[in-house]
Amino acid sequence: MVVGEISQERDLVIIGGGPGGYSAAIRAAQLGIQVTLIEQGNLGGVCLNKGCIPSKIWTYAAKKRSEIQHMEELGIESSGEGFHVGKLLDYQTKVTKQLRMGVEKLCSENQVEVIKGKATFTRSDRIGVENGHQFDTYTFKQAIIATGSFAELQANIPRESNRILLSDEIFKLAKIPDHLIVYGNDYIAFEIASTYREFGSKVTLLLENERDFPYDSAINKELTRQFKKKKIQIIKNAQLNSVKEMNDSIITITYEKDDDTEHLLEGTHLFTPGIRKPNVQSLGINRLGVKQNEEGFITVNKNLQTTIPSIYAIGDVVKGPMLAVKAIKQGKVTAELIAGGKPEVDLTFLPAVAHTIPPIASVGLTEEEAVEHDLDIRISQFPFGSNGYAMISGKKDGFIKVISDKSNDIILGIHMIGEGAIELSASFAQLLEMAAKEEDVKFPLYAHPSMNEGLLEAVEGLIGESIHMVPKRKDERVSHVFT
Amino acid sequence: MLEVKLHDIGEGMTEGEIIHYLIKEGDNVTADQPLVEVQTDKMVAELPSPGTGKIKEIVVNTGETVQVGTTLLYIEAEGNNKIKKLTTQAKEGNAPMITVTNQKEVQKSPVRLINRILATPYTRKIARDNNINIEDVQASDPSGRVTEDDVYRFIKVRQKPIKSTAVSQSKNTAKEEMNKPTQTTHPDEIPFRGIRKQIAKNMTKSLFTIPHVTHFDEVDMTNLFKLREELKADNMYVSVPAFLVKALVIALKDFPVFNAELDEENEKILLKKDYHIGMATDTEDGLMVPVVHEADKKTIQTIHKEIKHLTTKAKNSDLKPADIQKSTFTVSNVGPLGSTGATPIINYPETALIAFHKTKKMPVVNENDDIVIRQIMTLSLSFDHRVADGATAVMFTNRFSKLIEQPYKLMLEMM
Repeated sequence: MVVGEISQERDLVIIGGGPGGYSAAIRAAQLGIQVTLIEQGNLGGVCLNKGCIPSKIWTYAAKKRSEIQHMEELGIESSGEGFHVGKLLDYQTKVTKQLRMGVEKLCSENQVEVIKGKATFTRSDRIGVENGHQFDTYTFKQAIIATGSFAELQANIPRESNRILLSDEIFKLAKIPDHLIVYGNDYIAFEIASTYREFGSKVTLLLENERDFPYDSAINKELTRQFKKKKIQIIKNAQLNSVKEMNDSIITITYEKDDDTEHLLEGTHLFTPGIRKPNVQSLGINRLGVKQNEEGFITVNKNLQTTIPSIYAIGDVVKGPMLAVKAIKQGKVTAELIAGGKPEVDLTFLPAVAHTIPPIASVGLTEEEAVEHDLDIRISQFPFGSNGYAMISGKKDGFIKVISDKSNDIILGIHMIGEGAIELSASFAQLLEMAAKEEDVKFPLYAHPSMNEGLLEAVEGLIGESIHMVPKRKDERVSHVFT
Repeated sequence: MLEVKLHDIGEGMTEGEIIHYLIKEGDNVTADQPLVEVQTDKMVAELPSPGTGKIKEIVVNTGETVQVGTTLLYIEAEGNNKIKKLTTQAKEGNAPMITVTNQKEVQKSPVRLINRILATPYTRKIARDNNINIEDVQASDPSGRVTEDDVYRFIKVRQKPIKSTAVSQSKNTAKEEMNKPTQTTHPDEIPFRGIRKQIAKNMTKSLFTIPHVTHFDEVDMTNLFKLREELKADNMYVSVPAFLVKALVIALKDFPVFNAELDEENEKILLKKDYHIGMATDTEDGLMVPVVHEADKKTIQTIHKEIKHLTTKAKNSDLKPADIQKSTFTVSNVGPLGSTGATPIINYPETALIAFHKTKKMPVVNENDDIVIRQIMTLSLSFDHRVADGATAVMFTNRFSKLIEQPYKLMLEMM
C-alpha cells in the first residue's frame, strides 16, 4: 500500500454492470442503500451489447423475412428480394445504444455511482479500481460479484480466420455465410440455425446428443419437422473430431457417429456456442479464499453469499443456467437480502425458450419426466391449425401441450411451439408458480380470436372439452358429470 | 459427473446438518464408501457414495444446515459420463437417501419439479418472512396446495407451546415481563429447529388430521405396587411401566381399534397385527419416542430391560432409526415428573395414546364402605374419534385397569 493512500468508503459495491449487476444496483438503491457500480466496458454487459439483444434483433429480422410470402397474400406488396446486412447491423447498433443509454439514465436517476475501470479485491473489505493510470481503492460493507462469463472455443476447434464464430461474433458478420455449420445443443444454436437459414444460408446442424432437442418429445418432433421443411440438415449423435480451415474459404469438419464411423462435412463457416467460463481472472478472489469450483465458477450458498459472507456472487459467474433471467432475479434478490429482506431464488419454473421459427417455450415437467417418475397424468395437445387467430396471421404451425396430474388436477407442465410462444410463456410460468389446477385455467375469459385461446383449449382438452378439437372415439372419452 | 444430494430423510424430516466429511476434495472413493455424516432431527446418518470416482467438489460446508434436495458434493465418475440416475440407500434402515443426477441435468432438475411446493409465491413469502419452511406446513386442501390460511394457522399453533413453556419455566420472569410494556423487553430466542421443529410438525399434523377425544380414568395401583415389592424382596426388580406395557398389549388385543391406523383414502381401518409400543421419553433435546417392538411376544422382564435400555439411549442421543420406527401405539409415562391429567396428542398415524400420571395415596371407599388408603393413578387416553367411540374407549381402559388392579389376572393372560 502506498503511504498516505486514501481509501474511500462505500456501502455496497457491485462489480459488473450487466443485467444482474445493474438490476442489483437499482433494486438496492430503491431500498435506500448507497450503491457503487464498477464496469470496465459498457453498461448492459454481454446481454445488451453482444448477447440477448443483438441475437434477438437477428431472430426478429428472420421472423419478419419469413412473413413476406404471407404479406403478399394480404395484398401488401414487397419483393422480399435483397437483404442489406449493413442496415440490420446499423439498426442493431442503434437499438443497443438506445437501451444502453436507458440503463445509464436509470442508474443516474437512482443515484447509483457508476465507476469505469477494472476491479480487483485487495482485502475482504477493500477493492481497487484501475482505469488507465488511475488506481483508486474503496472499502465496502458488502460487495456483489456480477462479472459474468465469456465463451471459449472447444479445445478441438483451432481458429485461424474469422469464419469460426462464437455467439458474440456471428452477429457482427457483414455477409451472410454460404454454408453455415452449427455445432451445439442449446437454444442459441437452434436460433442461429433457424435465423441464417431464413437469410439464405445453407445450414447443417450438428447435434452431439442422442436426443435430438432438449424439450418435450412432441416439441422435439415438431422442431425437427419444421427444420426439415426449411431444408436445414440435422445430423444427430455426432461427436466433432477435427476442424480444418482450407485456403479456399472452406472449413472441413470430421465427426464421429455413434456407430463409430467417421464422416466428413464441408462448409464455409462454423458456429458454436463454445464453452462458457467465468470472468474471475483479474478479481483476485482466490487470494481472499473465495471458494470456486474446478471450472472457476464461484461457489455460493442459497443466499448467494460466497465463502466470505459480505461478498455475494450472482449471474453467470456462479454455477447454473447462463441466462440473463437468472442473473436479473439473483441481482434483485441479493439487493433485498442485503437490505434485510427474506426473498429467495427458485429456478424450478424457469421457462426454456428459443426464438426459432416457430418459437418455443417450455415450463415445468415434460411428458417423459412425468412418465419416468410414474406420475398418473393427463395429456392434451391443441394444434394451432384449429385456432382462429393463427389462421388469420398465417401461423398455424405448432401446438400447446399441457400435462396435468390426474390425482389432483394440478398443471405439471406447459410446452408450446408456435407463434407467440415466448410472450405466452409468462402465463405458463404464472400458472405453475400459482400451483394452478385445470379449473383455474378454464375459468378465466380469453380474448377472441387470439393465440391465448390455444392455452384454454389445450387445458379443456385434458378432459375432452376442447371445442375446436375433433372428439376422441366415444369409448376413449372421459365421462364428465356436472356436480 | 455424479451429483450427491441430501435426498429424502426418514421420519419426514426436511433438513440436515453436515457434521463431518469423511473424505476431502480429490479423494478417490468407491461405491458405498461413507462420504459424509449428517445430523438429522433425530439421528446421525452416514451417506454412502453412489459410485466409484473422484471427489470433485464439496459444495456445502461443515456445520451448515441444508434442505433436502441440496447438492452436497460432486463426484467425477469413473468410466462413462452419460446421464445417470441412481438412488442409494443410507446404511441405517430407511434413513437419508441420496439421488445422483448428471450435472447437465441440474439446470432443470425433475426431482425439484416432482417435489414442487404447491403454494402461490405470496403464500411462500409469508412462510419465509415468518421463518417457516413451507414444506412443514400441512395443507388443508387434500390436493396438497398450501394456502395463506394454512401458514397463518401453522404460525399460531407454533407460537402456543413456546409461550406456555416460557411461563412454566420461570414464573417470576414471566410476571416481571408482563408488567413491562412489551416493546422494551427483548425476548430470548430459542432456535426452532431440529427435534423441536419436528415435534411441532408431527403435533400439528396429528391435531389437524385427527379429531381427538380424551377420556380420563383412575387405576388402583396398590396391588401392583405390592407385587413389585414382593419381587424386589426376591431380588427381581421390575419397573411399573413394564407391567403397564404388558397389560396394555393384552387390552389392545381385545380392542384392536386402538392398535390401528386409518387409511382414509382407501376407506379402511388397518388393525395392526404387531404390537410395537412407543415410549414417549423426555430428553434434553425434546420429545423422543423409542419403541419396544413386539411387546406381545416379550416377557415383562424383557420389556423392563428394553425400556431401560431405550431410555438411556434416548437421553444420550444414541437412538438408531430402527429404535424409533414402526410404533403402533404410544405410551406417555409422565407420572414420575408429576402430573394429574392431560389431553395428550396422538402420535400420528396411530389411533390412540395413553398417558400415565402421578400415583397418589388417596382415601377410597371400598366394597365394605370403609374408607381405606389406596395408591391411585390417573390415566388419560386420547383416541381418534373417527375410528372409535367413547364407550369403546371406556371399555378398553376398564379392561386395562382390571389387569393392573388384579395383577394375577395379568399372569393368567400370559399363560
